[in-house]
Amino acid sequence: MSAPAVELVTVNVDGREVQVPKGTGMIETALAAGVEIPVFCYEPRLGPPVGACRMCLCEVEGMPKLQAACTLTAQDGMELRSAQTSAKAAEGQNAVLEFILLNHPLDCPDCDKGGECPLQDLTFRWGPSNTRMHFPKRTFEKPIPISPTISLDRERCILCYRCTRFSEGVSEDLQLVAAHRGAQSIITTFEEEPYRAHFSGNVTELCPVGALLPSTYRFRARPWEIDNTPTVCGLCPVGCNTWATTREGKVQRILSRNHPEVDDGWLCDKGRFTFDHLRAEDRLREPLVRVRRRGFEAVGYDDAVREVARGLREAGGSVAIAFSGGETVEQASALARLVRQGLGGDAAILPDDLDPAVDAFRAPLSAIRDAEICLVLGDEPVMERAPIVDLWLRAARRAGAEVVTVGPAGSVSTPPGSAAATSAELAGGGGSDELRDAGRRLREASRVAIVWSGDDHDSGRRAATLAASLGLGDGSGLYVLPRSPNGRGVAQAWYEAGEGRGFDPSGEEELGALIVSGDEAAYDPRVAQLAERARFVFATSMFTGDHTLWAHVVAPGTSYLERDGTVVNLEGRAQRQRRVVDPPHLDELELLARVGTELGVPIAPWAAEATVDDHAELAPRAQLEAPPEFAPAASTNGAGPGLELVVYRPLFSGPGVERVESLAFQRPAPEIELAHADAQARGIATGDTVTVGLNGSGRALRAAVRRKLRPGVARIAAEHADGLGSHVEVTKA
Amino acid sequence: MTPSGLHEVLLRHADERDLTKRAEYEAVGGYRALTTALRTDPGELVESLLASGLRGRGGAGFPMGRKASFIPKPDQTPNPIYLTVNADESEPGTFKDRELMLRIPHAVIEGIVITCHAIGAETAFVYLRGEYATEFDVMAAALDEAHEAGYVGPGIAGTDTNVTIVIHRGAGAYICGEETALLESLEGKRGQPRSKPPFPAISGVYASPTLINNVETIATVPTIVGMGGEEYAKLGVENSAGTRLFSLSGNVVKGGNYELELGTPLRELIYDLGGGIPDGRALKAVIPGGSSVPVLTADEVDTALDFDAMAQAGTMLGSGAVIVIDERACMVQLGLRVAQFYMHESCGKCTPCREGTRWMVQILRKLEAGEAEQGELDLLLNVCDRILGNCLCPLGDAAAMPIASYVAKFREEYQRHIDEGGCPFGGESSLEGVVAPVDQHHAHLRGQIEVPIHA
Ligand SMILES: Cc1cc2nc3c(=O)[nH]c(=O)nc-3n(C[C@H](O)[C@H](O)[C@H](O)COP(=O)(O)O)c2cc1C
Ligand code: SF4
Ligand code: SF4
Ligand code: SF4
Ligand code: FES
Repeated sequence: MSAPAVELVTVNVDGREVQVPKGTGMIETALAAGVEIPVFCYEPRLGPPVGACRMCLCEVEGMPKLQAACTLTAQDGMELRSAQTSAKAAEGQNAVLEFILLNHPLDCPDCDKGGECPLQDLTFRWGPSNTRMHFPKRTFEKPIPISPTISLDRERCILCYRCTRFSEGVSEDLQLVAAHRGAQSIITTFEEEPYRAHFSGNVTELCPVGALLPSTYRFRARPWEIDNTPTVCGLCPVGCNTWATTREGKVQRILSRNHPEVDDGWLCDKGRFTFDHLRAEDRLREPLVRVRRRGFEAVGYDDAVREVARGLREAGGSVAIAFSGGETVEQASALARLVRQGLGGDAAILPDDLDPAVDAFRAPLSAIRDAEICLVLGDEPVMERAPIVDLWLRAARRAGAEVVTVGPAGSVSTPPGSAAATSAELAGGGGSDELRDAGRRLREASRVAIVWSGDDHDSGRRAATLAASLGLGDGSGLYVLPRSPNGRGVAQAWYEAGEGRGFDPSGEEELGALIVSGDEAAYDPRVAQLAERARFVFATSMFTGDHTLWAHVVAPGTSYLERDGTVVNLEGRAQRQRRVVDPPHLDELELLARVGTELGVPIAPWAAEATVDDHAELAPRAQLEAPPEFAPAASTNGAGPGLELVVYRPLFSGPGVERVESLAFQRPAPEIELAHADAQARGIATGDTVTVGLNGSGRALRAAVRRKLRPGVARIAAEHADGLGSHVEVTKA
Repeated sequence: MTPSGLHEVLLRHADERDLTKRAEYEAVGGYRALTTALRTDPGELVESLLASGLRGRGGAGFPMGRKASFIPKPDQTPNPIYLTVNADESEPGTFKDRELMLRIPHAVIEGIVITCHAIGAETAFVYLRGEYATEFDVMAAALDEAHEAGYVGPGIAGTDTNVTIVIHRGAGAYICGEETALLESLEGKRGQPRSKPPFPAISGVYASPTLINNVETIATVPTIVGMGGEEYAKLGVENSAGTRLFSLSGNVVKGGNYELELGTPLRELIYDLGGGIPDGRALKAVIPGGSSVPVLTADEVDTALDFDAMAQAGTMLGSGAVIVIDERACMVQLGLRVAQFYMHESCGKCTPCREGTRWMVQILRKLEAGEAEQGELDLLLNVCDRILGNCLCPLGDAAAMPIASYVAKFREEYQRHIDEGGCPFGGESSLEGVVAPVDQHHAHLRGQIEVPIHA
């Protein structure tokens, strides 16, 4: 990145001179001079300042009126006097606080924000000690649930419009709005529908008062009785940095721990609210061993370790392992060494198997925002696979970048499953006119972001080839979205534990033993098939249920909030996940160590690789060895009658989410998305009930007509696609 | 020398002919300025506007030529340039723009096209007050006629100038007359002011350079082109060039719009043209520029109607609405009525205005009911003072300034409400015809939104 020369200017704040780059915000400039100017509405991540609350009023030399400091930028020679040195500014600030508090209920004793509330703090420091307003205060019905996870107290709202600006200008869901006018202004949702959006929970952190609060935290804890542990979200490959708040050994909420290169301080609702799965009723708490005919029986860890060691030893080297992709590097490494070094096994199902070539184009996620042009390839909606990436893309578009999406719902429409073919065309400068033009613009731009969101197994290598052919240099980045949160770290651990790439355990012959690591793997139908061929199956799982019925030994597994270790996110950044609370059972790594001792594989002691630094840095780019080979791309999912079905995995799915009641409303509706032309041809409109299936038999779903979707293609969330083939007939019911 | 009497420049011929018809307008020289202007270099037009001394007629009185000169030239900006005409006219007492649109719509259109040419704009929006239904019909019909005659549209009058005019109807909010709230509303957003800078001249509608002017300002442009900037500047007095339409209302015999040269004494408008106060009652006060400006007492009725004279008297010419108040008026009642309007119209974006206007109304209610305590007058003044200068847009000031001036100039009357535990008029006061009460605005609003005040 060529850093443009910065012009430094000198600004005087309260008599202190400070040098900052020209155009620096005044709040930051004052901070650099050691002066804190109080703010409420100012939040640079929400876009340009709005100057609404007036809390930051300051005196500026040469201007007759007080100025909202948050709306000013540093200019040379500027002299600013804050409330600390200007009586006029102090009077203005005091006036604003008085106005803010005029109708504020001051119900701090039973407000969840109490003790960590900016309004409370500023009132304490600057505010009036009593009120001159002796009229009844404005009242509203309260609290109002604006969704199952968020409640709104309009009496406490100070109308800083942070929440609505987030909804309009960051997540762009446009659902949170202000209604009415003047003193009767309120925050509400559009048409009073529930606030159902992937990022809604962020408004509870943006709100500077106790107006928008997570319902899940209502009356749960007080700031002086909680601990906040820095950790990393383990639910998708973004790896947002978080604080986990605990009280008396229980997780009570998740907050963002802004990593400006990774998440910019935002979390998706999955990351924020899924913690409740820790308390799921069907959690496994003791190891289970299958007892013929009687099903499972709870046993002690000694017995479980013995059983597992026996089952694995008797496999005679015919051992396969199925990973979930959520394991820490340390867990995966223990398992991999157990299988590859201890048992001579060589087969693994890896949720992600990215070619290391992608690391030659490694860049922080924040580089997306600074790109001139972004290319998004693949059938999987980015928002569902790595939600924060979607926010970075929106930020790029707002900053003026062109965002080209190529896929069945893209700005450049291509058939499902054709990302590989498209990338080859783009790399070779061929394809449709549209694609050729896009390719030219990609080559001409100096800051490019490529996001690949699909399930093609070769995607890493193909993406790297594309990036190399487009000449992606510094300032550009390639982001191949893995399926699983730590899929990259798990694959890395697998390869480091043995020679060669191993083999794919699909086939027909009998297996000696199968290790199923975690619930995600256990839910995978490929794994279930494999289990049927295995003489012995050992599974770890957080939850009891049908998904481990075929196992011989099941040991309780930990959640990402209950273990300590390293995770590698989609950028390739190694971050430290921390044990926030103790699991209600032995850590599975401990169990594996004991199995290792039985089998003669030393596993303990393990130490997490990633440091506990505040924010993990991204490793420098890898060298691109030789330009990767170009493999011809198979492009289609095959032909068939009816509409071609694209099945995606929704964000709000998976074993954890499914156990969180307050997130049920976020799960995808039983809905099938249809292209406008296909819907018209069948007389279907959004909201109609349609029959989806083949040969007359089918299931009823709601239709959602999408203008962007490619004709001939229908899209559906995986959980509603069960039993549907690659092609379906859709008729109006 | 003080100008005197009616001086119709804008409204010349409007009494003799139906100037809503294009042919009639042309017959008195209409659209001739347009033909001249389109063949004049844009820079020269802006120079001429500067020389004319024309100051904005919407309220703030900013020199129009200066504002036009802030607009980047078409080759200096990648975005289109826009003209926006502020026809939201909602300041209580103001009804001049509607008369201009109803009687000389073609002058407005002609002014728009000339101004567009001067600043390099090809699209102009007219943001029309929602309640102005007839005005919309008349303007739309005139626009159709202008289109037919090729005064609007592509290749106007044989030149390569293209101008499209879009009339956008508001939804009934005073704040949408404030220029940046107007732009938000025009973009389909909630009508709330933006923080400035950036100023509209740099980043206005759709983040593009935008010139915003009042209807009357724009309607004056053809006159200036017709007579030349320097000639126009000779009308009026120093710093206040030209003529203005004054909307005379309240306790006066002949209310209505009067076009006067700037600098005419207020007394002349009220007594000579307006016929004085009905039934020989005594004058008590005058609001010289719409309900948002500080009041003048009867003693100040010789103040001249120009920018500087009004500033010297501690008030403003504002929107040119002269509201006459006679001896029957209770100034506490008037204060309440005016404060209610601004509370009702506060957009709610910034704290001092949103909260302060409501508090003002609460205190004024208490005063009017005779329930206020000693000290609450000072509290009221302090609330005004804490709003003044601390808001995001001038609406907060517009609420605080008049009330503070009523208390300052009629303090004794306010004090008696406390001392005597009620209104000294004993129920005999009247605000008849002086600023419509806020519930009349309610009637205009779909759904009749109530603004409950628990007092
Ligand atoms: C609350 C508020 C309401 C306003 N309403 C109007 C209006 O109705 N019409 C108008 O022309 N200007 C109105 N203005 C002034 C405009 O903001 C702006 O200054 C004016 O339209 C510029 O035009 P001019 O320079 O030709 O006067 C209002 C200003 C404020 C603060
Ligand atoms: S709800 Fe909170 S964030 Fe939203 S406007 Fe009110 S105080 Fe601000
Ligand atoms: S985006 Fe991914 S990492 Fe971030 S909070 Fe959501 S699930 Fe967790
Ligand atoms: S002064 Fe009043 S109208 Fe203007 S922005 Fe503030 S609240 Fe809105
Ligand atoms: S922080 Fe500056 S106006 Fe709100």
